[in-house]
Amino acid sequence: MCFKNLPVEFDESGKAHLREGVRDPYGVSGNGHAASRDDRIKELLRRNGHIKEVSIDPVTRVAGALAFHSVVDLQERRVEDAHSMATLFRGYEIILKGRDPRDAIFISSRACGVCGGVHANASVEAIEMAFASPPPSMGVVARNLGQAAEFLYDHPLHLYLLAGPDYSEAVIGATNPEILKKARAATAKNSHVHGFSTIGDIMTALNPLTGRLYLEALEETRRAREMTVLVWAKYPHPQTIVPGGISATVTSQTLNEYQTRLNFFMDYAKKMIAIWDDVFDFLYEVEPRFHDVGKRPRNLIDLGIWEHHEGYDATYARANEWGERRWATPGVVIEGDLVTTNLHQINAGLEEFVSHSYYDDWTSGNGHRPFPTDPLGNPLSPYHMWNKETLPRPEGRSWREKYSWSTSPRWDRQVVEAGAYARMWTTACAKKLPKNPFIESTGTSMRMTLPSVGLPEMTVEWRVPDELNAIERNRARAYAQAYTALVALNNLLAGYELQKQGNTAVSRDFEIPKGERVGVGFWGAGRGFLSHHLTMDKGALTNYQILTPSTINASPADPFGNPGPYEEAVMNTPIIEEFPRGEDFRGIDILRTIRSFDPCMPCTTHMYAGEHTVVREVNTCACILEDEGEPVPAGAG
Amino acid sequence: MRAELLGRVSEQPGRTGLSETRLAPATARAPGSRVLVGGVGYSNLRDHSAGLLLLEWLGPLGDRVDVEDLSYSPIDVLFLLQRREPYAGVVLAAAVARGDAAGTVRTQRWEASSATAEELQGRVAEAVTGVISLDNLLHICAHFGALPSDVTTVEIEPAEEGWGPGTSPTVTAAFVRAADAVRREVQRLLADA
Repeated sequence: MCFKNLPVEFDESGKAHLREGVRDPYGVSGNGHAASRDDRIKELLRRNGHIKEVSIDPVTRVAGALAFHSVVDLQERRVEDAHSMATLFRGYEIILKGRDPRDAIFISSRACGVCGGVHANASVEAIEMAFASPPPSMGVVARNLGQAAEFLYDHPLHLYLLAGPDYSEAVIGATNPEILKKARAATAKNSHVHGFSTIGDIMTALNPLTGRLYLEALEETRRAREMTVLVWAKYPHPQTIVPGGISATVTSQTLNEYQTRLNFFMDYAKKMIAIWDDVFDFLYEVEPRFHDVGKRPRNLIDLGIWEHHEGYDATYARANEWGERRWATPGVVIEGDLVTTNLHQINAGLEEFVSHSYYDDWTSGNGHRPFPTDPLGNPLSPYHMWNKETLPRPEGRSWREKYSWSTSPRWDRQVVEAGAYARMWTTACAKKLPKNPFIESTGTSMRMTLPSVGLPEMTVEWRVPDELNAIERNRARAYAQAYTALVALNNLLAGYELQKQGNTAVSRDFEIPKGERVGVGFWGAGRGFLSHHLTMDKGALTNYQILTPSTINASPADPFGNPGPYEEAVMNTPIIEEFPRGEDFRGIDILRTIRSFDPCMPCTTHMYAGEHTVVREVNTCACILEDEGEPVPAGAG
Repeated sequence: MRAELLGRVSEQPGRTGLSETRLAPATARAPGSRVLVGGVGYSNLRDHSAGLLLLEWLGPLGDRVDVEDLSYSPIDVLFLLQRREPYAGVVLAAAVARGDAAGTVRTQRWEASSATAEELQGRVAEAVTGVISLDNLLHICAHFGALPSDVTTVEIEPAEEGWGPGTSPTVTAAFVRAADAVRREVQRLLADA
């Protein structure tokens, strides 16, 4: 039994049904906001000069724009309140309605300037399900190779260019000079791998614009992009991902050229793991409160990714089987335990709420929904994506009512988070990886053997952590680089084998069905969970819903009163930063927390504490927010 | 077996992974004799696509001129410039909203300003996460020494912010002046090269 909140039960054959006697099985009442919470915060702010409102706007790296509001007690060094705000309306769902389903591949790819390939792949799988048009084996392999290469860009980007600078000499020196002093004297235990003598040396190399690791990552983005282009022909928005396969030719030369570039990433992954293990182990040692930075319950979700070329048939009926044969296993983790790897169950547990989002509730209130069940008869909520209608309603910001363009996706009405670490976690626990010589899922870890290239062969092991915090999110990301490179290697070998057998076809004909169909792309971005749900009729899309990892992680509170993942993680974060006066407060622990999720938003972060402008930290646009009727500058700087 | 498949480069016990990076803040390289004309912006964004659309108005500019759509990440433009022989000069066209009357054409010699490290870091972060921007392109490429000393920008003040093909009548009318400005700059650069 994987559900504990939704009234869904399973019969002996495993088929789900709604528990009998429940009058309103998916009922929601109120918006979950406790007025007393507002009153308490207002009173705290009124009475205490050391409690400040800290707004970070915009925070970057979400598909859209993100701002973050928090109330910080600078004396007690804790966060009293937090609100995550997606400040931009995405609207792809509305753009796609009524279009030829094939348009969705190319249009939805534009949802992200960092990783458009993931949307193209999620979209094409949704379409293939609706069209009943699975690709041939080489088509699957080519998609996987491109997808792995896209992640080989994404992980270093996060660790060295976006989140990494938070651990650089420049930032640590400004916010925690005592820690930097200790770092300079601390020997790096993995020096034989990465070449840096001390932790201080690593932190210097992480310095933005000048640090060796920063510059190297910037330069190597090119290599990963080249790999993507080799198999997908174009990037960032590939035009070759089509229903039934890909429309680019994959030859031995393609595979060879891909391999020469992949070799580099084997060594790069070894160094990456060695570097971040050293930095994070050191930080735990010198400042144990880092265990609490960004901490939240171990509740995670992932849909898996990278089909097995002999397993995927694009049917919803067999989604559980092919899902569990993937190179990353789907799953939901609740309180540290893997509760399901079944894509049907994961799908049936998904709901999206808008009680604190700038949308109207689309449900009629009488439980009616266009799709009461999935194609197999498993019950679906009126709040499920196949039943969802996007009804934007912009209005002034109010913590009590609406404050974000992000919705609040939940699974079994629980707050779960998405990330590369969720993918690692579910795969490590599930022990369902395809047999291969490089990666082993042990039930508690992922053991990975990176072949000898410039550096000797190395076996590394990512162990499922017993806590979820900013450091563990980032650490898993370093190991995800090795994992991704080895998935690429496995697929490369599969590609060579298919070539040898003469199975070189990369696509298959398809027809656009005229009847009513549903489809779902269960996929993932570099930063985790990604789904595209569609319905179509008469050859055109009747509904299209995209659920990104940042929608999940940046979500506002839900109608049950639970804060979203960023909000919860920030509220659990202690203030470790050293600051002589309140106006010197930079909020680095809050930023470390948010960035550890790898939010995806192509703009720059500004931050201000009351009147005091602090930083232009990361990347996004500036916005003006309505604060319950009072216009407030959202971010100076 | 695995090592053979991967093509063993070398196995040197004790060798560390430190590598030399070619990217570093640098001074501009010695100029060559060619000129680059680039359009910068997003496609299908009405007036904000003016930089790209302007390229179609230019007509032949001569054998020593490369005319290119540079509507991608400034980091990728940086890589492209690093791979090529240095240019004698660069002319970049884009739609940029600076508060002037719609359709205003501004032709300026670009001077590298003293952007703070924090600003530059922000621009790099925007670039690697997919933002296409003339200012980011200029600052990043200049920081890494990929631009020649002679860079001219031809900016058009946009009128419409919607999405879709084509431009507003105001901006379309400005294309003639903007194209003239580009051609003038190209002639000047070729004469100097």
